[in-house]
Amino acid sequence: MSTNQEKKATGEQKKVGIYICHCGGNISDHVDVEKLAENVKDLDGVAVVHTNTFMCSDPGQELIQNDIRDGKVNRVVVASCAPSLHELTFRGAIKRAGMNPYLYEHANIREQVSWVHHGDQATEKATGLVAGAVAKALRLQPLEPIRVEARRHATVIGAGVAGLRAACDLACRGLEVALIEKSPFIGGRTASLGRLVPTGEQAEEVITQIAAKAMANDKVTIYSCTEVVGFEGFVGNFRLTLKRKPPEEPYSAAEPQKIRMDHLEKGEFLPAAGIFPGDVPDKEQEIFLETGAIVMATGFRSYVPGEGEYGYLHSDKVITLAELVELIARYPDRRGRFLQVKGKPVRRMAFIHCVGSRQIPGIHEPDQDGRLNEYCSRTCCAATLQAAVQIRSSFPETQIFDFYRDIRTYGRGQEEVYREASRQRVTFFRFEPEDPPRVQKSSGGKFPLLVSVKDTLTFGEQIDVPVDLVVLATGMEPTPIKELVEMMKLPVGADGFLQEVHPKLRPVEVANTGILLAGTCQAPMDVGEACNAAQAAAAKTTAMLARGYVELDPFVARVDPERCKGTGLCREACPIEGAIELKERQVDGKTVVQAQITPALCTGCGICVAVCPSRALDINGWTLEQYEAMVDAIVAA
Amino acid sequence: MKETLRLQYDALVIGGGIAGLQSALDLADQDFKVAVIEKDATIGGKMIRLSKVFPTLDCASCITTPKMAAAAHHDNIDLFTYCEVNSLDRSQGRLKASITQKPRYVDPDKCIGCRQCEYQCPVYVPDQEQGGFNLRKAVYIPFSNAIPQLALIDVEHCALCGKCAKVCPTEAIDYFQQPEDFVIEAKTAVLATGFKLTPMDQKKEYGQGQIPNVISSLQMERLLAPHGPYQRVIRPSDGKEPDSIAYVQCAGSRDLSLGISYCSRVCCMYAIKQAMLLSGALPLADITIYYMDIRAFGKGYEQFFQNAKAMGIEFVKAKVGRIEQGENHNVLLRIEEQEGDGRVVRREHDLVVLSLGMVPDWNPAGICPVGTGDDAFIKCVRPKLAPTLTEMEGVFVAGVAAGPKDIVDTIAEAGAAAMEASNYLNSSASGRAA
Ligand SMILES: Cc1cc2nc3c(=O)[nH]c(=O)nc-3n(C[C@H](O)[C@H](O)[C@H](O)COP(=O)(O)OP(=O)(O)OC[C@H]3O[C@@H](n4cnc5c(N)ncnc54)[C@H](O)[C@@H]3O)c2cc1C
Ligand SMILES: Cc1cc2nc3c(=O)[nH]c(=O)nc-3n(C[C@H](O)[C@H](O)[C@H](O)COP(=O)(O)OP(=O)(O)OC[C@H]3O[C@@H](n4cnc5c(N)ncnc54)[C@H](O)[C@@H]3O)c2cc1C
Ligand code: SF4
Ligand code: SF4
Repeated sequence: MSTNQEKKATGEQKKVGIYICHCGGNISDHVDVEKLAENVKDLDGVAVVHTNTFMCSDPGQELIQNDIRDGKVNRVVVASCAPSLHELTFRGAIKRAGMNPYLYEHANIREQVSWVHHGDQATEKATGLVAGAVAKALRLQPLEPIRVEARRHATVIGAGVAGLRAACDLACRGLEVALIEKSPFIGGRTASLGRLVPTGEQAEEVITQIAAKAMANDKVTIYSCTEVVGFEGFVGNFRLTLKRKPPEEPYSAAEPQKIRMDHLEKGEFLPAAGIFPGDVPDKEQEIFLETGAIVMATGFRSYVPGEGEYGYLHSDKVITLAELVELIARYPDRRGRFLQVKGKPVRRMAFIHCVGSRQIPGIHEPDQDGRLNEYCSRTCCAATLQAAVQIRSSFPETQIFDFYRDIRTYGRGQEEVYREASRQRVTFFRFEPEDPPRVQKSSGGKFPLLVSVKDTLTFGEQIDVPVDLVVLATGMEPTPIKELVEMMKLPVGADGFLQEVHPKLRPVEVANTGILLAGTCQAPMDVGEACNAAQAAAAKTTAMLARGYVELDPFVARVDPERCKGTGLCREACPIEGAIELKERQVDGKTVVQAQITPALCTGCGICVAVCPSRALDINGWTLEQYEAMVDAIVAA
Repeated sequence: MKETLRLQYDALVIGGGIAGLQSALDLADQDFKVAVIEKDATIGGKMIRLSKVFPTLDCASCITTPKMAAAAHHDNIDLFTYCEVNSLDRSQGRLKASITQKPRYVDPDKCIGCRQCEYQCPVYVPDQEQGGFNLRKAVYIPFSNAIPQLALIDVEHCALCGKCAKVCPTEAIDYFQQPEDFVIEAKTAVLATGFKLTPMDQKKEYGQGQIPNVISSLQMERLLAPHGPYQRVIRPSDGKEPDSIAYVQCAGSRDLSLGISYCSRVCCMYAIKQAMLLSGALPLADITIYYMDIRAFGKGYEQFFQNAKAMGIEFVKAKVGRIEQGENHNVLLRIEEQEGDGRVVRREHDLVVLSLGMVPDWNPAGICPVGTGDDAFIKCVRPKLAPTLTEMEGVFVAGVAAGPKDIVDTIAEAGAAAMEASNYLNSSASGRAA
């Protein structure tokens, strides 16, 4: 039978093209692609079936475009990987060929088929999914993206180095910027550091430079002592409520006497606190802000060891790397025979790496909140060795012993610091996580503490090192921002850091459109890496807001006025404030109350569709009719 | 004399790997006009040649092709492939790049990528795109997802038999094509010239690339790729499925004897990744990684490493002193164990992979006045606050060109370079100094 001729004869009918991808062999090693093509080619409405090694490659996309241009197809089904990877790629290709990009349906035969099933079963399941997609494609309507006006204004939350960097770049590209910082100072954790590894630059200079740039730019408004307490709206049109209130606490952990802020000048650097942005509020105030995009830059906090973890809190001679670094930073020019800590000379000291990082379930205990930090904190190895080198050169008689699992001086210039530490005769011991070093008070003897370890560099020899000081190279944890996470519905990864959409495809965006990530709120990074991330986020933000409008996917609820009886059940069920409203309307001279959708707010979740008693609601691109047809087709296949 | 063609853009990107493409896209999305110059016949850089990528184990093609296609189809981006940059200087506030289009011996306006020429060509050449394990023709399209899909003739091997010209349906073959010079002018530039592997032939102790069944990590990427040379993992010398595979870490990094003192930053992770993929492909094979430190520092990387350990991949902390040819095509390693009792031991493996490091693919000396660091990568003048700034005004750097890094860090840096470049365009447009 000449199905093709028949189909051609009927002219303007719906013609579905099916494009099946081998994905190199990712799909075709398990799904019999040719058989799949055979199985679906005679389905109702199917005009052409093609296969290709990589449908997403240029030749693959061209195949689709040529069929569209030649009038062979007016609906497209691609059977390939997950739509999260390539739905946008194919919609783009279709659009360039002059067809409405929403006349497209994606069948996921990789993640849902070839990666989990094998043999005939795989081909069978793929057939079902493609048949379902075809059934849906036949019922698709052309759609237009929702265009909403966007404010040329961005908000950055957190004024550490990442937040400052992002704010400067956004302002440079002409956006108004609100920079929100909860402390009275800007600069973040970098303000507590000294010589930065690997360049040896002074953290104070680095942070003062970028802060000065932000303060000098009249497009940047700095809100210190401020937190975000209210959040609504959508990309282009977020509405934030800020609370600015007088500081209550002293700001320097190292100098806990109350700091008189009225004596500080704008731009002044206060060690371990940061740069004073000019004022502190004397009374609480609420501020409302309308903004187009939000860059998260809330940074990290240092891991705090548990009581007794390597002797922490049991001896005041056990301190963290953050404390040591702050100490060295305050007295950069101090020299002597021995490093002095808490008024005592340190003759021998030990560093222990990976404290609160690289924790392994079953070996390490979670903290009281159930956190177990399985990740590497990335910055502590280099920072430890930098501190060691600095101490060895300023205090030549202080001996240093370094207990590590792996030395991770990965970055440019960092390996040199490692080599320098060895040259300066820092003694290294390596341990396995199962056999960590033990820190004990020594009984008698010349040194207060004893560190013992099974050293795997000397073939598992048991070694005891008496020392005056133990420094724990504590890792990074995300700054706790539970309220923000809940309010803004931010995605958080298993490691507790904010989670990007995809580390390679969309590395600085979260799933919520219009919210971006900069710096260590996303993962441990050093200053340079945090600035790179911040600039990448700023570039995305400017691209998004530059045109003054943003386009959103049209997959939102729509109301059928013929059916809506105005029960309001949908409004009650809708989880988004303001997405559905009941409005009065004139119908044949009578006033009726009906549901009305604000498309920019609707997330297309479909809850309203489920509760409507009169089937008056549907989600564009995902209608009940389409679902039913898909289910029927899958069952029939 | 023919007048040289002069083209005007806002930004010029040198290098069409993932760094260059991402920078170009981020600039183009801000409505700047961008030219991308690539010396290869296709864009995509190393990433398009990989198998799957850590830490998500996405297939590399699947993530690279959309970026390649997005750049190729972007209204604000023009791609210039198979081009050489002869010089890049600044005069009167503009950058001027003088460029040579190398001859493909195929007319790019006529070629439709049908590959008829390739099918007819009688000459076979080892295909470097497939690790040298496969053969390709003397006229060829680099690979199935290359962009652009244009054939080129490898003149070194072409027998000038005329078969391709005869079969080409559009008469695109042109044996007499000449190099063409042209000029691109732009206000700003991003250098994204990437890396090559440290050469295999330098280290005497590791056999200088002469021992069969000692392969490079990029060759292993091809063996593991779904559309690789054999479609499965076998060792090159005799086609045997290897039962025991070893990785030699820091081969060509952290090695003062080679003058390469730095860590190449990706080889620990790619070795772990390949080991995981191998244990999927060859469930019975023993896989050993000889390492000094495992540097799994990125987001999700340590967890990836711990998973590999849990899967039974053997990690041995040891320095490989010497690699020698063993019996039955096997490879002998002499290692100084650092754990255990520390003797020098010999271990035999069916196949050995060198986790080679990265060296820069391009030296700007004599072409443009940007300096390089002791490590020969392009020097960053403000590595903390603006890591993409170079010594030359308005010229920025991204990706491995500025020192080894993985794809995630490369993409972030490419975004940062685009930001700096757009800031520069902005400030020069409004007459302010940079
Ligand atoms: C001991 C140690 C040594 C280090 N040494 C080096 C080194 O030598 N070289 C190097 O390059 N890097 C080093 N680092 C890393 C460096 O500190 C970080 O890369 C850098 O501080 C990250 O900056 P950030 O802006 O991402 O975060 P942060 O510096 O943490 O800044 C975040 C800011 O956000 C604010 N904030 C948080 N929550 C909120 C909220 N809800 N609302 C408003 N504001 C909020 C905070 O108050 C803070 O000001 C070191 C880190 C440690 C721990
Ligand atoms: C074996 C191996 C496995 C890897 N696996 C992973 C992985 O799983 N995950 C991961 O994140 N990373 C991985 N990497 C790292 C990854 O390859 C790099 O991070 C990435 O390719 C860097 O991109 P780039 O654009 O900076 O450089 P490149 O990919 O090298 O691209 C540079 C481009 O510039 C071009 N070019 C150079 N000089 C010039 C010039 N003068 N004029 C014009 N063009 C020029 C080159 O031809 C090339 O196309 C791996 C690396 C190796 C070696
Ligand atoms: S950077 Fe070093 S000390 Fe820090 S967690 Fe990683 S391996 Fe441990
Ligand atoms: S990443 Fe690992 S293998 Fe590569 S040079 Fe660094 S330590 Fe060696």
